[in-house]
Amino acid sequence: MLHIVDDEEVIRDSLAWLAQSRAINARGYASAHAFLEQAGAPFDAEGDCVLLDVRMPGLNGVAVFDQLSARGLTARLPVIFLTGHGDVPMAVDTLKRGAFDFFEKPFNDNDLMDRVEQALAVSRQAGEAAAVQARLATLSTREREVLDLILAGKMNKVVADKLGISMRTVEVHRAHIFDKMQVKTAVELAGLLK
Amino acid sequence: MKSPFAPPRPIHLGTPWRWLLPVLLVLLFLAVLLWLPWQARQMESNERQEQLIADTLWVEQTIRLELTRNEDALDALRADLVANSLSGAAVQERLAQMLKNGHELQRVLWLDARGRALASSPPGLPAGPALAPDSGGAAQLARDTGNGRYSDPAPATAHGGALMNYHLPIFSGEHYLGSLVATYNLKTLLDETVPWWFAQDNAISLLADDKIVAQRAAAGMGRGVYTHKRPLDLPGASIVLATDSVKSAPRLLPNLLVGSVILLALGLLLSLGALWRDVARRLAAEDALRQQMAFRTAMENSLVTGLRARDLEGRVTYVNPAFCQIVGLPAEELVGKVPPMAYWAPEVMDEYQQRFASVLAGTATPQFETVFQRSDGQRIPVLIFEAPLIGSDGRQTGWMGSILDISDRKRAEDLNRQQQEKLQASARLATMGEISSMLAHELNQPLAAISSYTTGALNVLGRAVGSGAPLDAALLKPALEQASAQAQRAGQIIRSVHEFVKKREPERQQISVQNLVDGIRALIELQARKFFVAIQTHIPPDLPPVSADRMMLEQVLLNLTRNAIEAMAGVAPARRILRIAAAFENGQVTVSVIDRGHGIEPDVAERLFSPFFSTKAEGMGMGLSICRSAIEFHGGTLSHSANPEGGTIFKFALPGQPTPA
Repeated sequence: MLHIVDDEEVIRDSLAWLAQSRAINARGYASAHAFLEQAGAPFDAEGDCVLLDVRMPGLNGVAVFDQLSARGLTARLPVIFLTGHGDVPMAVDTLKRGAFDFFEKPFNDNDLMDRVEQALAVSRQAGEAAAVQARLATLSTREREVLDLILAGKMNKVVADKLGISMRTVEVHRAHIFDKMQVKTAVELAGLLK
Repeated sequence: MKSPFAPPRPIHLGTPWRWLLPVLLVLLFLAVLLWLPWQARQMESNERQEQLIADTLWVEQTIRLELTRNEDALDALRADLVANSLSGAAVQERLAQMLKNGHELQRVLWLDARGRALASSPPGLPAGPALAPDSGGAAQLARDTGNGRYSDPAPATAHGGALMNYHLPIFSGEHYLGSLVATYNLKTLLDETVPWWFAQDNAISLLADDKIVAQRAAAGMGRGVYTHKRPLDLPGASIVLATDSVKSAPRLLPNLLVGSVILLALGLLLSLGALWRDVARRLAAEDALRQQMAFRTAMENSLVTGLRARDLEGRVTYVNPAFCQIVGLPAEELVGKVPPMAYWAPEVMDEYQQRFASVLAGTATPQFETVFQRSDGQRIPVLIFEAPLIGSDGRQTGWMGSILDISDRKRAEDLNRQQQEKLQASARLATMGEISSMLAHELNQPLAAISSYTTGALNVLGRAVGSGAPLDAALLKPALEQASAQAQRAGQIIRSVHEFVKKREPERQQISVQNLVDGIRALIELQARKFFVAIQTHIPPDLPPVSADRMMLEQVLLNLTRNAIEAMAGVAPARRILRIAAAFENGQVTVSVIDRGHGIEPDVAERLFSPFFSTKAEGMGMGLSICRSAIEFHGGTLSHSANPEGGTIFKFALPGQPTPA
């Protein structure tokens, strides 16, 4: 989902149309507040990207970015700034602080969309990594121990010996782990936690 | 640097030695002056004393001679008596003779051995002892010795004068026969023997046992200053002749000569004192003058204003350090030189020569600006004030000039002007910038939107072509409609900005050219004053009014006058005249702005009214273009032509409306 934050309706509409022409879902926000109220709730599985106009009445683009940073959302919500002439140094500064990119107006629309797609991919990966972490968090301590040994490539018997538990128990843990991590095979699990 | 005045050298007001000698001389002179009269007095005194002694000796001699004569006469008589050759009458005769010859003799007696008087002169002998008792001793001694003896003088009697006897014993063999006794009146003796001229000056006394027994003091008593005593050395009697001059001691300043010398000396001292005071005053004045000189020299050296003195022939007689610094030459290379001077810049040589000629003629411009050339070739703008140099006798001896280096001032003025120009230019640029940034901002939105819509549409088209799927017109239509709407919006923005720049609708009204010029005269004069331009206006009173927007016409006129004034910045001040002339020609009111500046080159003239063309470094090139638009807006024309007197004429013509007669 592309989040377009701009006080100009015509800009929001034209950019949304542009995004749709590239098969990207887009949503416009008339003000920074309107966006911040809904930011990250929820995240899009396809990835998120924020197009921020630097110059806006009220809260400007940089302030919005700062709030997102403070809330730790910039990994899931990569920010691309749209700057006017003369705002470049400010934009470069935000870039150093973790903004995804900036485009100086006037810009090539399809170049912008290319970067938006890249940002969406980054956001998506970040979302997946976050999901894996969330699944890992559901494992019990014993399950984590079993998981680590499985990832180390140990057989069930070796795991049972090492942990001093029965083969049967290991198999139960293993089934629970696969279930909680939403994988079917050890190879798949290893790929997830790579 | 070398000063034309003597360098102030330290002086010591009188070393002790310088004053010791005259003081010593004066002291010596005074000592001699004091000593001389004293010495003169001493000499005079000695001389008088010696004179007195000599005279006294003389008197003594005279007295002794007289006494000796009488002794001799008595001796002769005695001899005759011893020879017994005389009768009594003859003796009497001899005695009388003696008395007659010697007035000092009061009496002469002939006594027998028993002391009785045998004969006497004058006659009428005193009975009884013929002699005073004290004379008896002398008589006895004379009888014992056989020689004549004098008795001590007897005190003065009523007859006057003390008496003294001379006893001469008469012996015939061993037989004492008697004696001859002559009685002297000592007073008479003195009267007779002392000459009058001596008596005139001296009191003469005869003293016996320090008592006065006879005295002659015709001229009064002696003063006891010059005295002499001389014993008469008579056998038997100790009588002293004492003289005492009536003259007092000589006065200390007896004569005119010494007096006048002293007077002169006093005068000398006085004048010496006066001289000394005068010298001291002169020294003090010199000292003050020297201090004043030092003060002035310090003042001249500390000045940043150059000072240059020239004589009537233009020869430099003095320069101060500041002047040397201005022209970069040492004083030695300036003083004594005649024009052309080393610091005259070649390009303004004519001006110098002209001015120098007027200086020679005795008239100098009191204040003027010119340019000097430093020794390193740098030009220095200077402001010079000239004033006649008047000597102590009131006649002019030359010219004194003070020279101010005004490069700093010029620089500051130039800088100020440049900054002013820059400010104006940047103000213009700022306005342009505001307009352009407003335009950019306003246009960015629709242009960006159009770009996004069309890009999106192209994406859709590209995908459809790529996939071969049928084109969904319904999908594309709203986007293209939006793009079109945004394009129209952009056009509106540009129109509105134009409106904003124009600010307002022109407002036509009836305006007289006189009124128009009067309204902005102050502004024109403000510009003109900056460039020392004079303004002349020629506007006929019967000129018809024009129908125009006042503000636009004012802008046009201001623009033209400013161009004209700036065009004359580089010409001679005398030529800087701006003329505004109005006329009514062929149904049109024309206004000409005439300058006498640098004129317009042909290639410039072609592009004169093109926008963004400017001959000025900081010009926007909008002025004349706008002017022409404004005039054409009013149905008029703006043209230019070369001024036959040099410079340019800009003329605009507007349809006039002659007032109905």
